Amino acid sequence: MIQMKNIIKNIFRITAAGILFTACKKDFLNTLPLDKPPASTVWTDPALTEAFVTDIYNVYHDGILNQESMDCISDNALYNFGRADIMEANISPGATGWVNNTYEWGEMYFRIRATNLALEQLASVTWDPTIAERLKGETYFLRAHCYNQLLRYYGGVPLIKSTYQLASPDFSIARNTYEECVNSIVSDLDSAALLLDGKTLGLGRATKDAAMALKARVLLYAASDLHDIPTASAKSPLIAGYAHPELLGYVSGDRVERWTKARDAAKAVIDLGTYGYKLDLTAPSTKDDAIADYKNVYLSRNGGEKETILAKYYVNASPDDWGSWYPRNNTTNGYHGWTSSEPTQNLVDNYEYMDSTSVGGPKAVKFDWTNAVQAAAPYENRDPRFYASILYDGVPWKPRTTDAAGTDPYGEIQFGTYEVGTAGTASTYFGLDTRNSSIENWNGTRTGYSIRKFTNDDMSLVDMNQRQQVPSIQIRYTEVVFNYIEALLELGDEPTAKEWLNKIRFRAGMPAIDETGPALIAHYQNERNIEMLFEEQRFYDTRRWMIAPQTQGQKVQVMIVTGKLKPGKTVTVYRYSKDNYDYTYKVQNIEAGVENRSWDDKLYFPPIKLDEMNKNNKLVQNPGY
Amino acid sequence: MNTLNFQVRSKLPNHGLAILLLLSVSILAVNTNVYAKMPGYFQSKDISGKVTDDKGEGLANVSVSVKGTTRGTVTKPDGSFTINANPGETIVFSMIGYTAHSVTLKNESSLNVLLTAESNSSMGEVVVVGYATQKKVTVSGAVAQIKGSDLQKSPSVNLSNSLAGRLPGVVATNSSGEPGYDGSTIHIRGVNSLGNNDALIVIDGVPARAGGLERLNPADVESMSVLKDASAAIYGARAANGVILITTRHGKSGKPQLSYSFNQGWGQPTIIPKVLNATEYATMANEIEIYKLDPSEWAAASAAFKSTGSYTGPTGATSTAPFQPSDIQKYKDGSDPWGHPNTDWFKATLKPWSPQSRHNLQLSGGSETVKYLASVGYEDQDAYYRNSATGYKQYDFRINLDAKVNKYINASVGVTGRQENRFFPTKSAGSIFRMLMRGYPYKPAYWPNGLPGPDIENGEQPVVITTNQTGYDRDTRYYLQSNGKIEINIPGVEGLKLIGNVALDKYIQQGKTWTTPWYIYSWDYTSYEADGVTPLLVKTQKGPTPQPTLNEYSQDQLNSMLEGILSYDRKFGDHQAIFLAGVTKEKSNNNYFNAFRQYFPSAAIDQLNAGGPVNQQAGGSAWERARLNYFGRVGYNYKEKYIAEFLWRYDGSYNFPPAKRFGFFPGVTAAWRLSQEDFLKDVTFLNDLKLRGSWGKLGNDAVYFLYNLREYDYLSTYVNGDVDSYGNHHDGVGGSSTYGYVINNQVAPTYYENGVPNPNITWEIANNYNVGLDGVLWNNRITFELDYFQNHRSSILWKRNASIPQTAGFTLPAENIGKVANKGWEFKVGYNERFGDVRLNVSVNGGYARNKITYWDEVPGRPDYQKSTGAPIPTDINYPDDMLLYQYDGVFRDQKDVDANTLDYSGVGGAGKLFPGSMKFKDVNGDGKITPDDRVRSKKTNIPTFQGGLNIGVQYKNFDLTILFQNAMGAEIFLQTESGTIGNYLQYTYDHRWTIDNPSSTDPRTVDRNNQYFSNRNTYYMMNTNYVRLKNFEIGYTLPSGIGKKVGINNLRIYANGLNLFTWAKQDIFDPESINSSLQYYPQARVLNTGVTVTF
Repeated sequence: MIQMKNIIKNIFRITAAGILFTACKKDFLNTLPLDKPPASTVWTDPALTEAFVTDIYNVYHDGILNQESMDCISDNALYNFGRADIMEANISPGATGWVNNTYEWGEMYFRIRATNLALEQLASVTWDPTIAERLKGETYFLRAHCYNQLLRYYGGVPLIKSTYQLASPDFSIARNTYEECVNSIVSDLDSAALLLDGKTLGLGRATKDAAMALKARVLLYAASDLHDIPTASAKSPLIAGYAHPELLGYVSGDRVERWTKARDAAKAVIDLGTYGYKLDLTAPSTKDDAIADYKNVYLSRNGGEKETILAKYYVNASPDDWGSWYPRNNTTNGYHGWTSSEPTQNLVDNYEYMDSTSVGGPKAVKFDWTNAVQAAAPYENRDPRFYASILYDGVPWKPRTTDAAGTDPYGEIQFGTYEVGTAGTASTYFGLDTRNSSIENWNGTRTGYSIRKFTNDDMSLVDMNQRQQVPSIQIRYTEVVFNYIEALLELGDEPTAKEWLNKIRFRAGMPAIDETGPALIAHYQNERNIEMLFEEQRFYDTRRWMIAPQTQGQKVQVMIVTGKLKPGKTVTVYRYSKDNYDYTYKVQNIEAGVENRSWDDKLYFPPIKLDEMNKNNKLVQNPGY
Repeated sequence: MNTLNFQVRSKLPNHGLAILLLLSVSILAVNTNVYAKMPGYFQSKDISGKVTDDKGEGLANVSVSVKGTTRGTVTKPDGSFTINANPGETIVFSMIGYTAHSVTLKNESSLNVLLTAESNSSMGEVVVVGYATQKKVTVSGAVAQIKGSDLQKSPSVNLSNSLAGRLPGVVATNSSGEPGYDGSTIHIRGVNSLGNNDALIVIDGVPARAGGLERLNPADVESMSVLKDASAAIYGARAANGVILITTRHGKSGKPQLSYSFNQGWGQPTIIPKVLNATEYATMANEIEIYKLDPSEWAAASAAFKSTGSYTGPTGATSTAPFQPSDIQKYKDGSDPWGHPNTDWFKATLKPWSPQSRHNLQLSGGSETVKYLASVGYEDQDAYYRNSATGYKQYDFRINLDAKVNKYINASVGVTGRQENRFFPTKSAGSIFRMLMRGYPYKPAYWPNGLPGPDIENGEQPVVITTNQTGYDRDTRYYLQSNGKIEINIPGVEGLKLIGNVALDKYIQQGKTWTTPWYIYSWDYTSYEADGVTPLLVKTQKGPTPQPTLNEYSQDQLNSMLEGILSYDRKFGDHQAIFLAGVTKEKSNNNYFNAFRQYFPSAAIDQLNAGGPVNQQAGGSAWERARLNYFGRVGYNYKEKYIAEFLWRYDGSYNFPPAKRFGFFPGVTAAWRLSQEDFLKDVTFLNDLKLRGSWGKLGNDAVYFLYNLREYDYLSTYVNGDVDSYGNHHDGVGGSSTYGYVINNQVAPTYYENGVPNPNITWEIANNYNVGLDGVLWNNRITFELDYFQNHRSSILWKRNASIPQTAGFTLPAENIGKVANKGWEFKVGYNERFGDVRLNVSVNGGYARNKITYWDEVPGRPDYQKSTGAPIPTDINYPDDMLLYQYDGVFRDQKDVDANTLDYSGVGGAGKLFPGSMKFKDVNGDGKITPDDRVRSKKTNIPTFQGGLNIGVQYKNFDLTILFQNAMGAEIFLQTESGTIGNYLQYTYDHRWTIDNPSSTDPRTVDRNNQYFSNRNTYYMMNTNYVRLKNFEIGYTLPSGIGKKVGINNLRIYANGLNLFTWAKQDIFDPESINSSLQYYPQARVLNTGVTVTF
């Protein structure tokens, strides 16, 4: 009994002690997130602070290597999976259509907050001032980039330079004027250039040079027609009738001064002498060299890297970035690709034709479908950049994957419909890369073309479903040169402009330009488009120049290729052959049910989302919505 | 004792071990105690007799004991017993499942007693409630209970699938039948929160055990109780969504019983979506091509496609029919199996029946002092696929020991272990069924020579990727869960007990995904073997990488609980007082890591060490959680007539800032048994009538925002892509995931703000009200329970973002601002009758709950018919505007109809052109334009508002039959398949479509890949999912007791049962429990099963 009582007593005591113990241990509930550092750790640790600033670079996403090229919302290309809403001007604040995350309103302001937070915190850090200064410089650059992405898409936007807090009393804010935005961006870029001067920066980070180059872009846009309200109003009744033109451009001031600033900013980059690949030729390259050099530039290799002022890079170990899937996203269905961003016939027609019949040697002329010779062989004697940029019917491409190698043992693009068998009793064979292909036909091209530019041309890479490591170029030296040329033209210095324009043409294997006046400007505009194809220029350029009503107002034109067996010929496995086939090339408008393009001036400035307008009553909507 | 004291001061797991140790020591030390030998002290005589059931058959193993003593025995197999007792003493006869019966002895020397099964008498039933059991008549809260034996009637290998239709107010929806992931979502009284709506599951007194209830062996379950109202308040900050209490089976005193049961079942999809054959598909594919032209050319193009297969329009543009007339002819007549097959992908990939089996061995018995139950189970479930790589296997055991150590001490120990093996091919069921839905009927699954045909996309060929040719994906989970309990009756104070509980649960998950390339065979339709006749097939390697890759992961979790309870329960004459108070400490630690390698030289070695050195990847994360709770119950009743109870819990949760960590959650329940009042005494048919009422304030500390558990949101933290356990980077702003950025050709680390902290974050609060009426009439012939409830949930985490512009640059942290009101009712009516040899019991139950958001952050400026406030919680909280639907208004029958249209469709988004066969939408706001403003918010979600069941049980001699019809109403889902050039169409779409020859004004024309403006969500595509189904059916036969006994068998029962046998629904396109819009999911199962149970 005594033993029993003792045991009971002890059990009672232990349990009571347990309860007491439990109740007293106050820190029992003080658990912490084990894998997420708190703010105090991040901002006192230079490595974590740097990691924070590095994350802001993700604002570039995939840039020009996005599955849907921004050129798909210009005359250059068609998005295979439908963009009729924007291209038929069926967009509204309630239904804005596709807005890529590289310039979308919410995404930009999310990144802008990160830049403001970093600048606030970096102002008071006590660790290594050299690193702090560099990070500040990078952050100023990134903020300027974000604001410029907003500015060139939406027009003037609210300028926010501090971080909102949970307790901030008022989140509503009005749009700043276009001019205020330009000034703010330029000021940030000047700060960046100052802070980054002389700093060692890893490849992929913004440098002083990048800041200067971006400044040149910003100032060129600021000087353009669309942003000079008197000019824009004269060309567009919609803009003329808009109550807040100061949001869209300069309502007063001296255009010459703006062009001069743009010219000087571009010239400052040129004067660095650091950049440029084969821009010192005095005569046109050969066709083969020109093709190789153009590829070197867009693949950033063999010296072409010298064109790059800022790029986003991909490595094999890097996260599953969409841009590294560019070949799969854009190659043809016959290679198990998706043919997402398709060049249009409208673009292809803009590649000049080298007329060897002209007096005094070959001459570059505009391609002409009414010329029987040209129409019969439209893919011959074109600007070398055509061959480096576009996949067209019959062009040799990579070996087919094993499932398709039997059908096409030669690895040639098949965009047409051909006869196979014996002439007279032949049957119809649909090319592997068409929408009637035996392979993934739903991904087939609608225009009869696909994009080759930016795809690694290593012919041993059979499988297009693999990632590549081609950088996504954000600022390229040649753009700065074009910016310089454009400012010179606007300021009337045609000789210097032509001199630089011809450097670009010589590298591309094209003869010098000898025009003047409006013809020269038109030629410059085409040259800029051809050279900078799929580099997010066309959307903005056609708007800046206010030629979008003409370019984007066109219907999409597509190419229908048919191959008819010549009499007496027998072919069992199809291959492109002028010996066996008569080819016809027919251009027609795309089916209206796919995309029926039309222009409306409201497309100059896309709408601000309805939700955002509702949440911020100080916002003023863009014209036309 | 010093050692023990020392251990008490150390950390919790040791603490728990100490008590466990103590338990075992106590059992050993006290076993020989004098109190165990009490019989023999008294002058007494032997009383003998027989216990029978209401069929007159002897009942074995009934406990017979003398009240207030330790004298006791159990009945023999024929129901007879002998016990030593004195006149004036009370003998108690009890057995689980039967109403206890007591007799106070006068002078009789023999006793014949009839025990009534509890199912036949709700009066005597005992109900498990939080931290106690109560007589059903005195329960004052809304509590539903089901016995384990009822759950065993369902052949589903997942316990959660056995609940639908059985418990009023419990909504269980099964959205997939995939082995390993075939559980039902359970909502108690519907949906109450914008966040987490999961009930707290308490198994043997331990809350939130890893693995939950789904994989419990039904043979191990004694009972399941559902606390629906304030009766859950004793679980405080985790009780807001209701509490499910599961009690496992324990041994009963008596001779050892060994029972073995074997179930063999066969499963198949309830419904396979009907898709088109090759001829029908070709017809629709040609229509796509025609509809790209101007409508004025459609008729001509259609005729041309049918005759020549090619059409040239007025501008000279030509269109070619993707399927030529000759192709269509060959699909139809089957004359060219190589070039023109007609494939039924579902048939090629799925087998008619898939086996599943379950074995169970259970041993139980014991004496008055020690009882035991041990059970071992095994389960094996195959998937629908032919040569399936998917399957589920389970091995489990459970041991429950109870000891009456002495007069004062009862102890019990339970241990359960379970291994769950889930295995899959490397392609998910989602991608497999996506490909089955998309599969082109004009492409072969197999070539006529038996080799698998080409893939649909990315190597995905259903007949190949359902097998282990793609490698394997294994998910193995181990559970070892233990709990111990010691109950000390404090000497000297009658009714006072001290209870100590301890639980230690270990959970380990190991995953391994081995991805290897696989092969398919394609033919270019032009090349032939040397014989010139046999098509030349090309073997093609497919797979994400040319060489194998291996990903392995492991997580390891330890949950521990330590609990002390003081309980007092005593009757003073007509007054009964109950008091209980306790404290619980819970802690949980989890650690996760994974490792990935690729470039394996050979598919023969599937171990990490064989992988190449390039691009190895590893990741890891960890968390710890802790809770400290104080709780109690104070109860009082007078003559079991006036009943009142007060429940409380003072809860502390790790998840909130120190100042907001603790909260008080009270609950009050009360009942009045009118039938006990004198004024109703004369109403003879009324056996019991009870009016109940309750109010409780409950909490939910598992605060979710957009389906993600928010932890530590009171701290400002930074994350990199690798550790963001929310899987939702940048809180939806921008919406891209980032895991670093490439600098200097290396991936540089990146960190970003993990949102802005909310320093005041705290739990959700539920104010739940309930009134109920229970009755028993005509001697149990009729029973009923009626409940009406209102749940008011507040402090739900929600963001004020809808009113904060994006220029702010951050999304506000979730704050406790959301409010939801949920109202509804439940009923259950039972009818029991006996007609000669036939026993019949029928019960009908149902529960209705309808919620509405009463406050959240509404986007300003919306018209009333679009407001989400006042509407039910959206189907997908991430996309509340998916509930906004254009109002379908028929179809433009022809060009004339189009020309007559006056509405402006340019603001509708997508291609806004109007063609014949396009849908009309209603101009809801009457502004002459169809814009997003014309969408109207739907009041229906994919969760039924009503779920009910009809249970029928019939017994005739040795035959028994149970039937459960179950129904659900009030839900709808959006149906839009991936059809067109990208994949096959539903037969429904084919049968209901506008065509040139047969224009319709109700159904639209063929659409390719939802590329039209009317592919926007609109009412045409919303499918009503009301249904009634024969959920369960069981017929059994028990061998007459005499026959088996000769060969040592106590009991032998054979039976056949089924799950989801028949369904009557508004539509027959898909299973009405589906919540998948594109039907790209593993369908629900119909199961036929046969089984046998032998007891020795």
